[in-house]
Amino acid sequence: MILSGAIIINSAICISLFTSRYCRDIRTTRWQQLLQPRLVTLVCLSLMYVQRCWRLIWRFPSSVCTKIRFTTLKETDKMSELTQAEFESSDDELPEEVGFDASKSAALKSVKDALESAKREKNLLKEKRRKRQQLYQEQKSRKRLPEDLLEEFDTEPQKQTELSENDKANNQTIKDEGETKTTSKTNSKSLPDSYSVKRVKDETAAKSLQQSAMDFIQSRLYGPGTKRTTNAEILSLKRKRGVNQGAAVEFASKKLGADVKAKVAKSNKRFLQKRKLVPS
Amino acid sequence: MGEFKVHRVRFFDYMPSGIRALAFNQHNERMAVARMDGTVEIFHCSDRFFQEKIIPGREQCGIEGLSWVGERLFSAGLNGEITEYDLTNQSVKYTIEAYGGPIWTITGNQQGTHLVVGCEDGTVKLFEVNEDKIQFERNLDRQKGRIISLSWHPSGSKIAAGMMDRIQVFDVETGHSIHRMLADRGVGTSRSKECMVWSVVYLSDGTIISGDSVGMVKMWNDHTGTLIKSHNVTKCDVLALSVSQNEDSLVVGTSEGFVVQFQFISMVLEKDDKEWVRTRTFRNHTHDVRAVAEITTAVVSGGMDTQLVVRPLLDKFEVKSSASALRKINFPHRSLVSCARKSGLMLFQYPGHLELWRLGESEGQGIPGSSLLVKRKPEKLLHLKVKGEDHIRCSAVSPCGEWIAYSTASSLRLYRLHCDNNNVSITKISKIPKVLSSASQLCFSSDSSHLFSASTQSSVHLVSLSQSGCKFVGTLKPKSGSHQAIHLLAASEDGKWLASANSDHEVHVYNLHTQKPHCTVPIYSSAVSAMAIHPTTNCLFMMHADQQMFEFSIEQKQYTDWSRLVQRKGLHDIWLGRDTPCLNVMFNPQNPSHVILHDTYMLCIIDQSLPLPDGKTQFYNQLTLKSLPKEQRRSHSHAFKVCKTFKDILCVELMSDQSLVVVERPLEDISTQLPAPIKQKKFAT
Repeated sequence: MILSGAIIINSAICISLFTSRYCRDIRTTRWQQLLQPRLVTLVCLSLMYVQRCWRLIWRFPSSVCTKIRFTTLKETDKMSELTQAEFESSDDELPEEVGFDASKSAALKSVKDALESAKREKNLLKEKRRKRQQLYQEQKSRKRLPEDLLEEFDTEPQKQTELSENDKANNQTIKDEGETKTTSKTNSKSLPDSYSVKRVKDETAAKSLQQSAMDFIQSRLYGPGTKRTTNAEILSLKRKRGVNQGAAVEFASKKLGADVKAKVAKSNKRFLQKRKLVPS
Repeated sequence: MGEFKVHRVRFFDYMPSGIRALAFNQHNERMAVARMDGTVEIFHCSDRFFQEKIIPGREQCGIEGLSWVGERLFSAGLNGEITEYDLTNQSVKYTIEAYGGPIWTITGNQQGTHLVVGCEDGTVKLFEVNEDKIQFERNLDRQKGRIISLSWHPSGSKIAAGMMDRIQVFDVETGHSIHRMLADRGVGTSRSKECMVWSVVYLSDGTIISGDSVGMVKMWNDHTGTLIKSHNVTKCDVLALSVSQNEDSLVVGTSEGFVVQFQFISMVLEKDDKEWVRTRTFRNHTHDVRAVAEITTAVVSGGMDTQLVVRPLLDKFEVKSSASALRKINFPHRSLVSCARKSGLMLFQYPGHLELWRLGESEGQGIPGSSLLVKRKPEKLLHLKVKGEDHIRCSAVSPCGEWIAYSTASSLRLYRLHCDNNNVSITKISKIPKVLSSASQLCFSSDSSHLFSASTQSSVHLVSLSQSGCKFVGTLKPKSGSHQAIHLLAASEDGKWLASANSDHEVHVYNLHTQKPHCTVPIYSSAVSAMAIHPTTNCLFMMHADQQMFEFSIEQKQYTDWSRLVQRKGLHDIWLGRDTPCLNVMFNPQNPSHVILHDTYMLCIIDQSLPLPDGKTQFYNQLTLKSLPKEQRRSHSHAFKVCKTFKDILCVELMSDQSLVVVERPLEDISTQLPAPIKQKKFAT
């Protein structure tokens, strides 16, 4: 009974597939696509497994559904091949018996494969996310000033506030300025000479507008998309085509050549280190 | 004749800044040039393009446009302010905030009544020009997108504005936009970038000509708002346009460095249908040309390669003369180097700081032309930064090397230098007389006891210097005459006379003992480029911008006999045909009849005891004289001895130990530090 049921449903699917194939429509209609996997699962598994299948179907994420779709398409191809083979050979022979166990195991395997691939993908994403988080942590720790400077900053403002409180208590404003001056002096001692402190309020809107306008001109005239070359190139071309032909400027002038030579030396060093050609 | 040990100095890293805008004033034939660092220079076009006035800039200036309104000069920049300049005192008169964000362009109408600026926020602001100030009148209709370029119709009723991707024509009375013309974007990758209309010109017949960032020069009809003709000039941007006074010639400046001329002529002879035809291409620049101007007989262009190039249009000249030759102005016409003659120190003036160097020493003797071994290298003693944002206007070091003074547009500072063998220390003189606020020229007396500071109204302040500090002594004022700023000062060796030259070609001589004006040299038509007083004869030697020289005897209050001889005979054509002015005049104490001069390409010693060359004698005769035997040399030599060994000379000075210092700045070194040029494909490279 099961076998006959299986055969009937099998033939029903084959017919539907044939119609789609003969219509030369490789992309089957959406409802057919949706129905096909479910029909096939019903077909492949016996009534005992139907409930389980349904539960499995509705629990699968969409990616697995597609997986099933692909696998089932393959299977349907196989089935259509079988039927084509059928047509090519004589009509009188009985269709080949596909064992229930075999098809069941194939279906289960495909489902398992789908599940496994989904898990693998999840794991890969997790790994990526973890790595990225680590990288961000590293960058954050790198950006921070060295620990000792941070400690100094922590202690200095405390000192200042203490002093100002004391002076407020004494009501001597002149002393206050003097004290803060000394503290500011001690503050500036800790910063290197090339550092300066500026309040965000002091940067006026006009300056930032001017800066953005200048950046705009710079990007339009010298930014990406413009065909710019270097001054050394132009001078070298002049020398090459000039009356007294000479070598390129990087070779002739020591100053210009120094940059290029330094770059070349650096890249050579890097290459050697990378390839570990130099025994260290 | 003269054997000198020459210190060839190349450690002055002078870096000029690129030219951003040009404005020509038709009436007084002056060209105003705005540079990227905010400096505004005025050149006199008919006086061999002599740099008459320099108004120093400031940090973060971002100047974008210049405009003349009558005799007044206005500029606007990305800091959102409109600036008017006081050309008499060579300073900024006032600045007005336009409240529209960064200003991209400024232009005045032909009638001289209104000024209009284009701002970042899309507004075109109209200002009324009053007698003492400008006043905001109204805004025209606000548009979306920034206004990059503006041009008035000669009648003053319409304005064409070049914006991003389009050109709009405004009616000035109503303020509404009449037409909107769309400029095409480029093909390929430049399709995604907006097309910026860098420059527009409005002609009186209603044609609007625009140059945009795609490299096209387009002619539009303002009656219908449609395109008439489009010319593809370059593959990069077209940055500047300028039309001549009679509207038959258009000059286009491109990003690649060449300048193209279009002329409004008819294609077929004797037919009346005229159109704009591309005629000439001038390739005189290596970097972007950001400003062009057409004066009556020449095309003036300037750009990021910092040179001002004057290309005369040869169809307007009939005779080949110095006026019809190509002229490139590289270096300023003021001296940036001052020397302490007695102590071998040199002061270099940069826009933002000063550097004091000690010259090196060499050993041994050598044959003329050879280079000697350097025993001790030159060393930098002092790097003095300017406080504040203004650039330095002038600076000087005293002959003994103990005092340094510099002036910006707002302040004057004096420093005392203590120089032991290894230690250099500097103390600032904080108590300066309040009169000394800003100086247009500074000069120390030869015994370093006095400082002469040229200030407003052509007057000179006298300050005495001593161990304790400085004290104000008096002011020297001319009897009559103009109030223009002084650009040259010369003090005599004995400390009795002081000569001052101002921008109105007036030279006044003052008696320092009585602090009264002594005499005035007759006014000559050309500006004074260099002058000095002879140590023994007290004759004032003056070199002018048109290469004429005069010698005026101060004690006798008249020109000397030698000077009259020179004027009678006339100078040699080669001497008069030189295109750079002489910037320094010196005398040799050992040979009183020698005068040492230099300009950018040559060093010359004039021997006043030898005969003057006439038109037919060979001018550069040094080599021929060398080949002649000694007896014949005397008869063949003439007064001008020119040495062309040194090039791109910024300054030549004679030190007290009879050695010459030549400060050179090779143009190749400057060009290696310029911004990036456009790549040009040349055949076989």
